[in-house]
Amino acid sequence: MGESRQTRSNTIVFCESHFMEIDQLSSQEVIRYKRQIVIPAFGEKGQKQLKRANVFIAGLGGLGAVSAYYLAAAGVGRLKIVDKDHVELENLNRQILYSTRDVGRPKTESAFEKLHALNPLCRIDAQKAEIRKDNALELIGDCHIIVDATDNLETRKCLNSVSVARQIPFIYGGIDGFTGMVTTFVPGDTPCLECLFPETSAATKKVGAMGPVPGMIGAIQSLEAIKICLGMKDLLKNTLLCINGMDMGVKKLNLRKDPECHLCGIQDQCGKY
Amino acid sequence: MDKTIQVIINDIKETVTENTTISQLIIRYKEGDADLIVEHNGRFVYPRKYEEIILSHDDRIEFINPNFGG
Repeated sequence: MGESRQTRSNTIVFCESHFMEIDQLSSQEVIRYKRQIVIPAFGEKGQKQLKRANVFIAGLGGLGAVSAYYLAAAGVGRLKIVDKDHVELENLNRQILYSTRDVGRPKTESAFEKLHALNPLCRIDAQKAEIRKDNALELIGDCHIIVDATDNLETRKCLNSVSVARQIPFIYGGIDGFTGMVTTFVPGDTPCLECLFPETSAATKKVGAMGPVPGMIGAIQSLEAIKICLGMKDLLKNTLLCINGMDMGVKKLNLRKDPECHLCGIQDQCGKY
Repeated sequence: MDKTIQVIINDIKETVTENTTISQLIIRYKEGDADLIVEHNGRFVYPRKYEEIILSHDDRIEFINPNFGG
Protein backbone atom coordinates (compact mmCIF):
# COMPACT_ATOMS: atom_id res chain seq x y z
CA MET A 1 0.00 0.00 0.00
CA GLY A 2 1.12 3.56 -0.57
CA GLU A 3 0.81 6.62 1.58
CA SER A 4 -0.15 10.20 0.84
CA ARG A 5 1.27 12.96 2.98
CA GLN A 6 1.54 16.71 3.01
CA THR A 7 4.93 18.05 4.03
CA ARG A 8 5.72 21.29 5.79
CA SER A 9 6.93 22.79 2.52
CA ASN A 10 3.40 22.40 1.17
CA THR A 11 4.40 19.47 -0.99
CA ILE A 12 2.01 16.58 -1.49
CA VAL A 13 3.79 13.30 -2.08
CA PHE A 14 2.42 9.88 -2.81
CA CYS A 15 4.58 6.80 -2.66
CA GLU A 16 3.82 3.22 -3.57
CA SER A 17 6.02 0.58 -1.98
CA HIS A 18 7.15 -0.94 -5.27
CA PHE A 19 9.02 2.23 -6.23
CA MET A 20 11.93 0.65 -4.49
CA GLU A 21 12.12 -1.94 -7.26
CA ILE A 22 13.27 0.63 -9.74
CA ASP A 23 14.97 -1.77 -12.14
CA GLN A 24 12.11 -4.23 -12.37
CA LEU A 25 8.68 -4.04 -13.96
CA SER A 26 5.83 -5.63 -12.04
CA SER A 27 3.22 -7.69 -13.90
CA GLN A 28 0.82 -4.78 -13.35
CA GLU A 29 3.28 -2.39 -15.00
CA VAL A 30 3.84 -4.73 -17.94
CA ILE A 31 0.08 -4.73 -18.58
CA ARG A 32 -0.42 -1.01 -17.97
CA TYR A 33 2.34 0.01 -20.36
CA LYS A 34 1.89 -2.84 -22.86
CA ARG A 35 0.98 -0.60 -25.78
CA GLN A 36 4.24 1.31 -25.54
CA ILE A 37 6.39 -1.63 -24.50
CA VAL A 38 5.46 -3.33 -27.81
CA ILE A 39 7.09 -0.47 -29.73
CA PRO A 40 10.51 -1.81 -30.75
CA ALA A 41 12.26 1.51 -30.12
CA PHE A 42 10.82 1.57 -26.61
CA GLY A 43 10.43 -1.94 -25.17
CA GLU A 44 10.82 -2.99 -21.53
CA LYS A 45 14.18 -1.25 -21.50
CA GLY A 46 12.53 2.06 -22.32
CA GLN A 47 9.88 1.51 -19.69
CA LYS A 48 12.53 0.93 -17.04
CA GLN A 49 14.32 4.07 -18.16
CA LEU A 50 11.11 6.04 -17.75
CA LYS A 51 10.60 4.52 -14.31
CA ARG A 52 13.96 5.93 -13.26
CA ALA A 53 13.14 9.39 -14.63
CA ASN A 54 12.68 12.45 -12.49
CA VAL A 55 10.95 15.26 -14.36
CA PHE A 56 10.13 18.81 -13.26
CA ILE A 57 7.03 20.47 -14.70
CA ALA A 58 6.98 24.23 -14.18
CA GLY A 59 3.40 25.41 -14.29
CA LEU A 60 0.11 23.53 -14.48
CA GLY A 61 -1.81 25.61 -17.00
CA GLY A 62 -2.71 24.63 -20.55
CA LEU A 63 0.74 23.21 -21.32
CA GLY A 64 1.56 21.71 -17.92
CA ALA A 65 -1.78 19.97 -17.52
CA VAL A 66 -1.23 18.13 -20.80
CA SER A 67 2.43 17.25 -20.33
CA ALA A 68 1.85 16.14 -16.72
CA TYR A 69 -0.99 13.90 -17.86
CA TYR A 70 1.02 12.20 -20.61
CA LEU A 71 4.16 11.81 -18.53
CA ALA A 72 2.28 10.30 -15.60
CA ALA A 73 0.34 8.03 -17.94
CA ALA A 74 3.54 6.91 -19.67
CA GLY A 75 5.04 5.80 -16.37
CA VAL A 76 7.65 8.42 -15.53
CA GLY A 77 8.95 7.40 -12.11
CA ARG A 78 8.68 10.78 -10.45
CA LEU A 79 7.04 14.02 -11.50
CA LYS A 80 7.56 17.20 -9.58
CA ILE A 81 4.79 19.65 -10.41
CA VAL A 82 4.86 23.27 -9.27
CA ASP A 83 2.30 26.03 -9.68
CA LYS A 84 1.20 28.96 -7.54
CA ASP A 85 -2.33 29.41 -8.86
CA HIS A 86 -5.84 28.24 -8.09
CA VAL A 87 -8.16 26.81 -10.72
CA GLU A 88 -10.32 29.48 -12.37
CA LEU A 89 -13.40 29.00 -14.50
CA GLU A 90 -11.62 30.59 -17.48
CA ASN A 91 -8.94 27.86 -17.32
CA LEU A 92 -11.31 25.08 -18.21
CA ASN A 93 -11.30 25.55 -21.99
CA ARG A 94 -7.84 24.02 -22.12
CA GLN A 95 -6.50 22.86 -18.75
CA ILE A 96 -7.66 19.27 -18.97
CA LEU A 97 -6.66 18.17 -15.48
CA TYR A 98 -9.44 20.25 -13.91
CA SER A 99 -13.20 20.22 -13.89
CA THR A 100 -15.86 22.69 -12.82
CA ARG A 101 -15.90 21.48 -9.23
CA ASP A 102 -12.15 22.22 -8.95
CA VAL A 103 -12.65 25.97 -9.38
CA GLY A 104 -11.06 27.73 -6.43
CA ARG A 105 -8.79 24.82 -5.46
CA PRO A 106 -5.00 25.03 -5.76
CA LYS A 107 -3.98 23.61 -9.12
CA THR A 108 -1.32 21.48 -7.46
CA GLU A 109 -3.90 19.81 -5.21
CA SER A 110 -6.34 19.09 -8.00
CA ALA A 111 -3.59 17.97 -10.40
CA PHE A 112 -2.12 15.70 -7.74
CA GLU A 113 -5.47 13.94 -7.28
CA LYS A 114 -6.06 13.49 -11.01
CA LEU A 115 -2.57 12.30 -11.78
CA HIS A 116 -2.52 9.91 -8.86
CA ALA A 117 -5.89 8.51 -9.89
CA LEU A 118 -4.58 8.13 -13.44
CA ASN A 119 -1.40 6.33 -12.42
CA PRO A 120 -0.73 5.51 -8.77
CA LEU A 121 2.60 3.98 -9.82
CA CYS A 122 3.97 7.42 -10.67
CA ARG A 123 5.31 9.36 -7.71
CA ILE A 124 3.87 12.87 -7.79
CA ASP A 125 5.47 15.66 -5.78
CA ALA A 126 3.11 18.63 -5.98
CA GLN A 127 4.26 21.95 -4.59
CA LYS A 128 2.24 25.16 -4.52
CA ALA A 129 4.86 27.81 -5.07
CA GLU A 130 5.88 30.69 -7.27
CA ILE A 131 9.03 29.94 -9.24
CA ARG A 132 11.52 32.76 -8.73
CA LYS A 133 15.20 33.39 -9.27
CA ASP A 134 15.94 32.71 -5.60
CA ASN A 135 14.11 29.39 -5.33
CA ALA A 136 14.23 27.83 -8.81
CA LEU A 137 17.34 25.77 -8.09
CA GLU A 138 15.89 24.39 -4.87
CA LEU A 139 12.49 23.65 -6.42
CA ILE A 140 14.02 21.79 -9.34
CA GLY A 141 16.21 19.86 -6.92
CA ASP A 142 17.48 16.60 -8.37
CA CYS A 143 15.10 16.51 -11.33
CA HIS A 144 17.01 15.90 -14.56
CA ILE A 145 14.60 17.39 -17.10
CA ILE A 146 12.73 20.71 -16.96
CA VAL A 147 9.44 20.98 -18.83
CA ASP A 148 8.53 24.64 -19.22
CA ALA A 149 4.81 25.23 -18.93
CA THR A 150 4.96 28.75 -17.58
CA ASP A 151 3.27 31.81 -19.02
CA ASN A 152 5.96 34.47 -18.93
CA LEU A 153 9.53 35.06 -20.03
CA GLU A 154 10.85 36.04 -16.60
CA THR A 155 10.05 32.66 -15.04
CA ARG A 156 11.38 30.90 -18.10
CA LYS A 157 14.67 32.73 -17.64
CA CYS A 158 14.88 31.45 -14.05
CA LEU A 159 14.37 27.90 -15.30
CA ASN A 160 16.88 28.42 -18.09
CA SER A 161 19.53 29.58 -15.61
CA VAL A 162 19.12 26.34 -13.66
CA SER A 163 19.19 24.33 -16.88
CA VAL A 164 22.51 25.92 -17.88
CA ALA A 165 24.00 25.76 -14.38
CA ARG A 166 23.06 22.13 -13.83
CA GLN A 167 23.49 21.06 -17.48
CA ILE A 168 20.01 19.55 -17.70
CA PRO A 169 17.63 19.77 -20.68
CA PHE A 170 14.99 22.50 -20.74
CA ILE A 171 11.96 21.91 -22.97
CA TYR A 172 10.47 25.27 -23.86
CA GLY A 173 6.87 25.58 -25.01
CA GLY A 174 4.70 28.62 -25.55
CA ILE A 175 1.32 29.42 -27.02
CA ASP A 176 -0.63 32.47 -28.12
CA GLY A 177 -4.10 32.16 -29.60
CA PHE A 178 -3.95 29.73 -32.53
CA THR A 179 -0.14 29.53 -32.55
CA GLY A 180 2.40 27.67 -30.50
CA MET A 181 6.12 26.96 -30.47
CA VAL A 182 8.42 24.42 -28.88
CA THR A 183 12.12 23.59 -28.74
CA THR A 184 14.45 21.56 -26.57
CA PHE A 185 17.47 23.33 -25.12
CA VAL A 186 20.31 20.99 -24.21
CA PRO A 187 23.20 22.78 -22.49
CA GLY A 188 26.43 22.33 -24.42
CA ASP A 189 24.60 21.14 -27.55
CA THR A 190 22.19 23.93 -28.36
CA PRO A 191 21.58 27.60 -27.71
CA CYS A 192 19.90 28.44 -24.45
CA LEU A 193 16.81 30.59 -23.99
CA GLU A 194 19.00 33.65 -23.38
CA CYS A 195 20.61 33.26 -26.82
CA LEU A 196 17.14 33.78 -28.31
CA PHE A 197 15.76 36.32 -25.89
CA PRO A 198 18.55 38.37 -24.32
CA GLU A 199 16.23 41.25 -23.52
CA THR A 200 14.09 41.28 -20.43
CA SER A 201 10.68 41.70 -21.89
CA ALA A 202 7.70 43.61 -20.63
CA ALA A 203 5.39 42.43 -17.89
CA THR A 204 3.38 39.23 -18.24
CA LYS A 205 0.26 39.59 -20.32
CA LYS A 206 -2.62 37.19 -20.49
CA VAL A 207 -2.91 35.86 -24.01
CA GLY A 208 -5.77 34.12 -25.75
CA ALA A 209 -5.58 30.35 -25.87
CA MET A 210 -7.39 27.98 -28.18
CA GLY A 211 -7.51 24.73 -26.19
CA PRO A 212 -6.11 22.30 -28.77
CA VAL A 213 -3.00 24.49 -29.25
CA PRO A 214 -1.56 23.98 -25.74
CA GLY A 215 -2.77 20.41 -26.22
CA MET A 216 -0.46 19.98 -29.22
CA ILE A 217 2.49 21.85 -27.74
CA GLY A 218 2.20 20.17 -24.32
CA ALA A 219 2.00 16.77 -26.00
CA ILE A 220 5.14 17.51 -28.03
CA GLN A 221 6.94 18.63 -24.87
CA SER A 222 6.02 15.40 -23.10
CA LEU A 223 7.19 13.38 -26.10
CA GLU A 224 10.51 15.23 -26.03
CA ALA A 225 10.84 14.47 -22.31
CA ILE A 226 10.17 10.77 -22.92
CA LYS A 227 12.74 10.71 -25.73
CA ILE A 228 15.32 12.32 -23.46
CA CYS A 229 14.65 9.67 -20.80
CA LEU A 230 15.20 7.00 -23.44
CA GLY A 231 18.40 8.58 -24.69
CA MET A 232 16.96 9.06 -28.17
CA LYS A 233 18.93 11.38 -30.45
CA ASP A 234 16.41 13.07 -32.69
CA LEU A 235 15.20 15.75 -30.34
CA LEU A 236 13.96 19.20 -31.28
CA LYS A 237 17.49 20.49 -30.74
CA ASN A 238 18.54 23.69 -32.50
CA THR A 239 15.07 23.81 -34.01
CA LEU A 240 12.16 25.98 -33.03
CA LEU A 241 9.00 24.24 -34.19
CA CYS A 242 6.27 26.81 -34.83
CA ILE A 243 2.72 25.65 -35.40
CA ASN A 244 -0.03 27.88 -36.73
CA GLY A 245 -3.41 26.35 -36.07
CA MET A 246 -5.14 28.90 -38.32
CA ASP A 247 -3.75 27.48 -41.55
CA MET A 248 -2.08 24.34 -40.12
CA GLY A 249 1.24 25.80 -41.16
CA VAL A 250 4.30 24.25 -39.59
CA LYS A 251 7.66 25.98 -39.68
CA LYS A 252 10.98 24.78 -38.38
CA LEU A 253 13.36 27.58 -37.55
CA ASN A 254 17.03 26.69 -37.27
CA LEU A 255 18.51 28.09 -34.10
CA ARG A 256 22.14 28.79 -33.35
CA LYS A 257 24.05 29.13 -30.15
CA ASP A 258 25.22 32.67 -29.50
CA PRO A 259 28.93 32.47 -28.65
CA GLU A 260 28.55 35.79 -26.85
CA CYS A 261 25.49 34.77 -24.84
CA HIS A 262 25.94 36.23 -21.38
CA LEU A 263 24.74 32.96 -19.82
CA CYS A 264 25.76 29.89 -21.83
CA GLY A 265 28.46 31.64 -23.89
CA ILE A 266 30.39 32.66 -20.80
CA GLN A 267 29.96 29.18 -19.37
CA ASP A 268 31.46 27.66 -22.51
CA GLN A 269 34.51 29.86 -22.12
CA CYS A 270 34.92 29.03 -18.43
CA GLY A 271 33.99 25.35 -18.54
CA LYS A 272 31.20 23.70 -16.63
CA TYR A 273 30.03 25.08 -13.32
CA MET B 1 16.52 59.25 -55.22
CA ASP B 2 17.62 56.26 -53.11
CA LYS B 3 18.17 52.98 -54.91
CA THR B 4 15.84 50.19 -53.92
CA ILE B 5 16.03 46.42 -53.68
CA GLN B 6 13.41 43.73 -53.38
CA VAL B 7 13.29 41.46 -50.37
CA ILE B 8 10.81 38.84 -49.24
CA ILE B 9 9.36 39.39 -45.80
CA ASN B 10 7.20 36.60 -44.41
CA ASP B 11 6.62 35.34 -47.96
CA ILE B 12 5.58 38.76 -49.31
CA LYS B 13 7.74 40.70 -51.77
CA GLU B 14 8.59 44.16 -50.49
CA THR B 15 10.68 47.03 -51.80
CA VAL B 16 13.17 48.64 -49.45
CA THR B 17 16.00 51.12 -49.90
CA GLU B 18 19.50 49.82 -50.39
CA ASN B 19 21.64 49.39 -47.27
CA THR B 20 18.60 48.78 -45.08
CA THR B 21 19.52 46.93 -41.90
CA ILE B 22 17.36 44.44 -40.04
CA SER B 23 16.97 47.02 -37.27
CA GLN B 24 15.54 49.51 -39.74
CA LEU B 25 13.26 46.89 -41.20
CA ILE B 26 11.90 46.08 -37.73
CA ILE B 27 11.08 49.75 -37.19
CA ARG B 28 9.56 50.16 -40.65
CA TYR B 29 7.27 47.17 -40.24
CA LYS B 30 6.45 48.11 -36.66
CA GLU B 31 7.57 44.77 -35.28
CA GLY B 32 7.75 46.28 -31.83
CA ASP B 33 8.03 43.06 -29.82
CA ALA B 34 11.28 43.28 -27.83
CA ASP B 35 11.64 39.51 -28.12
CA LEU B 36 10.98 39.25 -31.84
CA ILE B 37 12.63 36.28 -33.55
CA VAL B 38 14.25 37.06 -36.92
CA GLU B 39 15.37 34.62 -39.58
CA HIS B 40 17.53 35.92 -42.45
CA ASN B 41 17.90 33.63 -45.46
CA GLY B 42 17.07 30.62 -43.33
CA ARG B 43 19.44 31.52 -40.51
CA PHE B 44 18.48 32.65 -37.06
CA VAL B 45 19.80 36.14 -36.33
CA TYR B 46 21.08 37.02 -32.88
CA PRO B 47 19.28 40.16 -31.71
CA ARG B 48 22.60 41.96 -31.15
CA LYS B 49 23.32 41.59 -34.90
CA TYR B 50 20.17 43.38 -36.11
CA GLU B 51 21.99 46.66 -36.59
CA GLU B 52 24.92 45.10 -38.44
CA ILE B 53 23.15 43.01 -41.05
CA ILE B 54 22.49 44.88 -44.28
CA LEU B 55 19.90 43.41 -46.62
CA SER B 56 20.70 42.37 -50.18
CA HIS B 57 18.42 41.95 -53.18
CA ASP B 58 16.20 38.82 -52.92
CA ASP B 59 16.99 38.26 -49.26
CA ARG B 60 14.32 36.41 -47.32
CA ILE B 61 13.32 37.67 -43.90
CA GLU B 62 10.96 36.00 -41.45
CA PHE B 63 9.63 37.87 -38.46
CA ILE B 64 8.27 35.54 -35.82
CA ASN B 65 6.54 36.80 -32.72
CA PRO B 66 7.43 34.59 -29.78
CA ASN B 67 4.71 32.77 -27.86
CA PHE B 68 5.01 33.13 -24.13
CA GLY B 69 1.57 32.00 -23.05
CA GLY B 70 1.15 28.70 -21.31
